[in-house]
Amino acid sequence: MSTAAVILIRIALLAAFLGAWEFLPRTGIVNPMLLPPLSLVIETLGDILGRGDFREAMLVTTAEVLVAFIIAVPLGGAIGVLAAEHAYFGAIFRPMLFYVFSIPKSIFLPMFILAFGIGFEQKVAYATFSTIFIVIMSASAAVESVKADYVLVAQSYGATRAQILRRIYIPSMMPILLETLRISMIFNFTGVMIAEMYASRTGVGHMIANWGENFMLPQLFAGVVVLAVAAMSFNELVRYMEARCSTWRS
Amino acid sequence: MQHMAQLSLGQEQSQGAAVEVRGLGHIYAGRDGAVPALTDIDLNVPAGRFVVIVGPSGCGKTSLLMMLAGLRTQTSGTILVDGRSIATPDPSRVGVVFQEASLYPWLTAVENVEFPLVLKNAPRDERRARAEAMLNLVGLSGFGGRYPHELSGGMKQRVSIARGLVQDPPVLLMDEPFAALDEQTRMTMGHELLRIWSQTSKTVVFITHSLTEAVYLADEVIVMSARPGRILDRVPIDLPRPRTYQMMATDVFGALRERIWHQIRDVP
Repeated sequence: MSTAAVILIRIALLAAFLGAWEFLPRTGIVNPMLLPPLSLVIETLGDILGRGDFREAMLVTTAEVLVAFIIAVPLGGAIGVLAAEHAYFGAIFRPMLFYVFSIPKSIFLPMFILAFGIGFEQKVAYATFSTIFIVIMSASAAVESVKADYVLVAQSYGATRAQILRRIYIPSMMPILLETLRISMIFNFTGVMIAEMYASRTGVGHMIANWGENFMLPQLFAGVVVLAVAAMSFNELVRYMEARCSTWRS
Repeated sequence: MQHMAQLSLGQEQSQGAAVEVRGLGHIYAGRDGAVPALTDIDLNVPAGRFVVIVGPSGCGKTSLLMMLAGLRTQTSGTILVDGRSIATPDPSRVGVVFQEASLYPWLTAVENVEFPLVLKNAPRDERRARAEAMLNLVGLSGFGGRYPHELSGGMKQRVSIARGLVQDPPVLLMDEPFAALDEQTRMTMGHELLRIWSQTSKTVVFITHSLTEAVYLADEVIVMSARPGRILDRVPIDLPRPRTYQMMATDVFGALRERIWHQIRDVP
């Protein structure tokens, strides 16, 4: 199938989806209380974007997501590299890390509330916790993807340790590292949302949970649209960088 | 008097030999204690010679090559390359061509070739010109912009050879460079290597499992035993140069091949 045909079909499906969203509640086939029509959601979206409290909530959520990301990615990356490179550290901690990785992180949320309260710190701590394991796993995999031969060749040409790191490790790991950024943002964002919806006084997650409880479905869907756009934008940005860095991948 | 004699002997050796190995031994720490990998290796490769090392798997051929490249340290004995001992890799004296897939997949062909010069912080224009010249030498002009995955197996090894030669070292070490290629490409590459060798007058130490390849390429074939690796035989190959594919069908070629095979096959 040609690329043009694929794109056309995608557009058609999107149009059908959006059309159904508008048409089904309007005709009463789907209960409009549960699924408000698209036009109403867009109208509400305009309203809430203009509201001071929603903007503030967006700022809080963005800050939580960014701070957790800035903590979890370098920290998890360092632990992951250590686990892959350092024989003893790896032997001791890798099994434990794998076990903990398999546990759903949300069951620890009550502990985080007891330890950190329901404010900013708790959101950051919980999101960091729910993100860091995937970063550790991915960073380990990235280090292991560097073939020993690559290093040997560089050594035979007299490369220093710093040169091996910069010229071999970094470019060799780059595709997996970017993939890690992308996936860790998904975990991170999910962590902040769960924490905000579970117990919070502010944040977009908190507002969405509130709207849901109060049956304010147009607002809820507008909030969902905002979050979806934010998440997809970040995802696409990293994917664009990935594509640029991985031309050499066959 | 004795002192003088030693001195002149030393001079003679350092002038004539590009690679000189004396009393080399290597023992590595295995699971069940010390395992001797190489014993009593003496090797004298005059400048400009093409020497091929053959031997059964695990005879320490690759270890020996790693030591010649300064990538591994021997337990005993001395190695002189270009008259001086080699303890750490010195790309100005030794270029190494490894088995398949030693190119960096994130670099283009020309970037792979200039990689050793990048490590030396050579100016961009200079290293690019040098790398292009090397690609030209190995018959790949115009392919510099391709990534390794866009090249055939033979072309990749041409790039590896160009990279090994880019710093113009007097000695080129090659560790089974054509082992992963199909028979036809392998023959072509052997022929190409001889052409490049005759144009650059390098000293080559080449490891292979293929006896036909060994006899076809070499001035001298060194036959090694199974572990611990020792030198069993040194077979001078006095076939005329340039070598041709037709020579492989001659009795002389067959007899040389047979002489080597007899010594290797007895090894369990």
